[in-house]
Amino acid sequence: MTARLPIPLRLFLALLICWLMAPLIPLAVWSGSRSWYFPDILPSAYSGRAWSYVFSSVSGVPEGLWQSAFIALSATLLSLLIGLPAGRALGLYKFKGKALFELLILAPLIVPGIAAALGLHMVFLKLGLTGTMAGVVIVHLIPALPYMTLVMASVFAGYNPAAEQQARSLGAGSFQVFRYVTLPAILPGLLTGALFTFLVSWSQYILTLLIGGGRIVTLPLLLFNFASAGRNDITGAISMIYILPGAVLLLIAGRYLTGRNSAADSLRQI
Amino acid sequence: MKLMPVSLKAAQKGLFLILTLFILSLFIPRAFANGMTYKSWDEVVTAAKGGTVNWFMWGGADNINQYVSGWVGAELKNRYGITLKRIGINDTAEAVNIVLGEKKAGIDDAGSVDLIWINGGNFRTMKQAGLLYCGYLELLPNNRLVNWRDASIANDFGLPVEGCEVPWNRAQFAFAYDSARTPNPPRSIRELIDWVKAHPGEFTYPAASDFNGSVFIRHVFYYAAGGPEKLLGPFDQATYDAVAPKAWKILNDMKPYLWRKGQTYPNAIAALAQLFANKEVALYFDYDPAIFGVNVENGTFPATTRSYGLGDGTIGNTNYVAIPYNSPNKAAAMVTANFLMSFDAQYEKAKPKIWGTTPAIDVAKLTEAEQKSFHELPRNPAVVAPEVLAKHVLPELHPDWIRAIEKGWQENVAQ
Amino acid sequence: MTERLKILLLLAPALLVIGGLFGGGLLLGLIESFGYMPLLGQTELNLEAYRAIFASQSFWSGLGLSLYISTVSTVIAGGLAIAAALVLRRAFKGRGIIRFLFQINLTVPHLVGAAGILYLFSQSGLFARLAHALGLIGGPSDFPALVFDPLAIGIILQYVWKEVPFIALILLANMQAIGRDYESVARCLGAGPVQVFRHVLLPLILPALFAGSMIIFAFTFGAYEIPALLGETYPAPLPVLAYRAFTDVDLARRPEALAMAMIIAGLATLILAGYAKLFYQRGGING
Repeated sequence: MTARLPIPLRLFLALLICWLMAPLIPLAVWSGSRSWYFPDILPSAYSGRAWSYVFSSVSGVPEGLWQSAFIALSATLLSLLIGLPAGRALGLYKFKGKALFELLILAPLIVPGIAAALGLHMVFLKLGLTGTMAGVVIVHLIPALPYMTLVMASVFAGYNPAAEQQARSLGAGSFQVFRYVTLPAILPGLLTGALFTFLVSWSQYILTLLIGGGRIVTLPLLLFNFASAGRNDITGAISMIYILPGAVLLLIAGRYLTGRNSAADSLRQI
Repeated sequence: MKLMPVSLKAAQKGLFLILTLFILSLFIPRAFANGMTYKSWDEVVTAAKGGTVNWFMWGGADNINQYVSGWVGAELKNRYGITLKRIGINDTAEAVNIVLGEKKAGIDDAGSVDLIWINGGNFRTMKQAGLLYCGYLELLPNNRLVNWRDASIANDFGLPVEGCEVPWNRAQFAFAYDSARTPNPPRSIRELIDWVKAHPGEFTYPAASDFNGSVFIRHVFYYAAGGPEKLLGPFDQATYDAVAPKAWKILNDMKPYLWRKGQTYPNAIAALAQLFANKEVALYFDYDPAIFGVNVENGTFPATTRSYGLGDGTIGNTNYVAIPYNSPNKAAAMVTANFLMSFDAQYEKAKPKIWGTTPAIDVAKLTEAEQKSFHELPRNPAVVAPEVLAKHVLPELHPDWIRAIEKGWQENVAQ
Repeated sequence: MTERLKILLLLAPALLVIGGLFGGGLLLGLIESFGYMPLLGQTELNLEAYRAIFASQSFWSGLGLSLYISTVSTVIAGGLAIAAALVLRRAFKGRGIIRFLFQINLTVPHLVGAAGILYLFSQSGLFARLAHALGLIGGPSDFPALVFDPLAIGIILQYVWKEVPFIALILLANMQAIGRDYESVARCLGAGPVQVFRHVLLPLILPALFAGSMIIFAFTFGAYEIPALLGETYPAPLPVLAYRAFTDVDLARRPEALAMAMIIAGLATLILAGYAKLFYQRGGING
């Protein structure tokens, strides 16, 4: 089945791939450069300065990395706990008002989170949630939960609950049923959903800025600081650190993403 | 019903419990503000021990970040047991807005901001809205190093400080150029106007929304008014109406000769620095001349960068740190402010490799050994000597004037 | 426990979060946009904020700019995504790697892409340097202004860069689910490749294309950080204006920020309603 593509198509693909990779190239070069003036194609002097700065504790980058990861993992875990049951209901059952509920779940994907976050700000302030990790995690649920729920709905749509019934009739307890029957069946989809949810939270800028009030510093906030201040070398180094976890997670989850329950397959449900 | 696995029911039951515990565990314990006032400095230092100071400041300069988080943070920890948290923001107004929002929500003793790097319009907003903690300066031992008789320290953009903020740095606007490329840069606004026309595309300035763009426009405004004298004091519409058209005409006449023919302006001073670094424009300017040296050190600017003030003078300011009224860590913030005024902190900051900025304290009030250290500091050749600049220093305007000029530029020049 | 109750229990946490947090946030925003600020003694509702923004030039140019950026980005990304999906559905050597690269792009945060675009396309960026090396331009100012530009090209480039893989992967999954049977039949009946695409495949993938495009349109319409980093100061798109008004030191401008946020939300809701009308007649998302 594998064949060579016609030349124009190969050219198109090659261009597309170059285009997709291109923005990462100057970032990588800048991260190791000392001076790189127009019209030099390559830097005139290299230095590890930006890297030693971002790895030092005074830069706040290690702390930002940790906080970003903690927030994204917490948002993913909470989305999973909330989205899994909802996905099960949407995937397995037909019921009155289902379409309306689906629309409600979909709404935060369409209606920008900034609108809700501006409205929530005063309440969060009153509750003492602004400037706390908890507040940021909660507000990240707004864009994160729909992804998880929709992916889980598509997973459960192709899931046969009869096996659970069988296991139970054979005397399995509820935890055992979940652990040995449900979980293995939904695991690939669950991991895909978790990856998406993690990335949605990981990329958040404005919600973190609004609710974190500057005190919760994540990588995108630091990146924005330095990018807008024109420090290209430090921006490059932070960018490299910032894209790493997503790429690693994708590699780890890779085998699940190419199978039947692939990420793309789940996206189809959106 | 039968289809529902019990595990999921359990999961749901547990869900709220987990969620609640989880959220509770995330809470950072909030210190409660002490409504008391301190009688002696010793009391303040004792109360400050173990405290945390959230210091909100512009976060785009790695050398300043390094000085604050690294050096100042470590010293405060060692000397006073205070934890300093530097919070980098893009604009000081963001921190002012946080305190305002908190006041609006009735959070009067558990605010999130303990210290702000501030001056000008932001100081005015906070002082007038009652957002500042004031009247503690006499308690600070290092306050004696400040020359409060100097009007440019006792007044922040024309507004009396009145014990509501602590001086940290002094800055005076200066121009920079690459001596290898531009041997004869313009040395007054008059010369600049002709120079721009003779060198099309080689000059621009940031939009008025940028702090530095705004101060450049003020220099043109002073020139159009024949000096700052008429513009000092509260805003006066008649004076503005008389001067503004002249200033807009100068800037509009310049427009076709600017970078990109004046169709757009850099939106931040960092963008102008990039243009200068890449030789797109021949002149750069900044309210803090130390930045020229810093940029040469870090390789952004060429080593042949030099700087100067204008023959008709350049605008200078003092910038300060202030404590919001609802800071829960006032004692620790006071100790921090006091330490920032100390010889040690001001001297470290004055080193060209660290920051190179001008001290806000009066060096003459220091011990002889300390004065000697200051005088023996090496100078970065890219940075014009503050003494030279200080010979022709112009005062800042009342923030209402600044607001009117910025708005006028937007309406008459930008569009 | 009835099945209905059980379903309700399963859905309750999600309902609570989305209804409470998201719906509640919008509701509070709506109230605040009417000037309701009890702490400032302001409890009467009024339309001042809306009146103020409708009277301001910057709001209308911001709205226009937002609509323009979202429309152009979505159309270009959609078109390129169809082309990419059509190529990627064929079997060829190295397809796995290319699909993997597409997925990698999904994981790269928007801000990283924005910084990269800035260093590629600015007048002293990598492309300008290449153009200089090739003798095409004499200096940075000869290179066309592609970032901080009035046409928002930098912003659009960033969105296209980020969203082509997103839509392409949705379409690809969709095409695989559809299979090639319909196309084979059409071809047997004598249709050419263009006709097959136009009359058979395109109508089949249209719902997925619409859904993906809608998400992109809405996302770009509500995004703050990309225009804040790559755009001109004036005019600025709506989310940037809303954030600026919200963080203005003049608290009286907050209702204006909320009013702009409500207009963003309102337009997005219209899109959502259009989506619902289009697809729910066909029996639900999974139908």
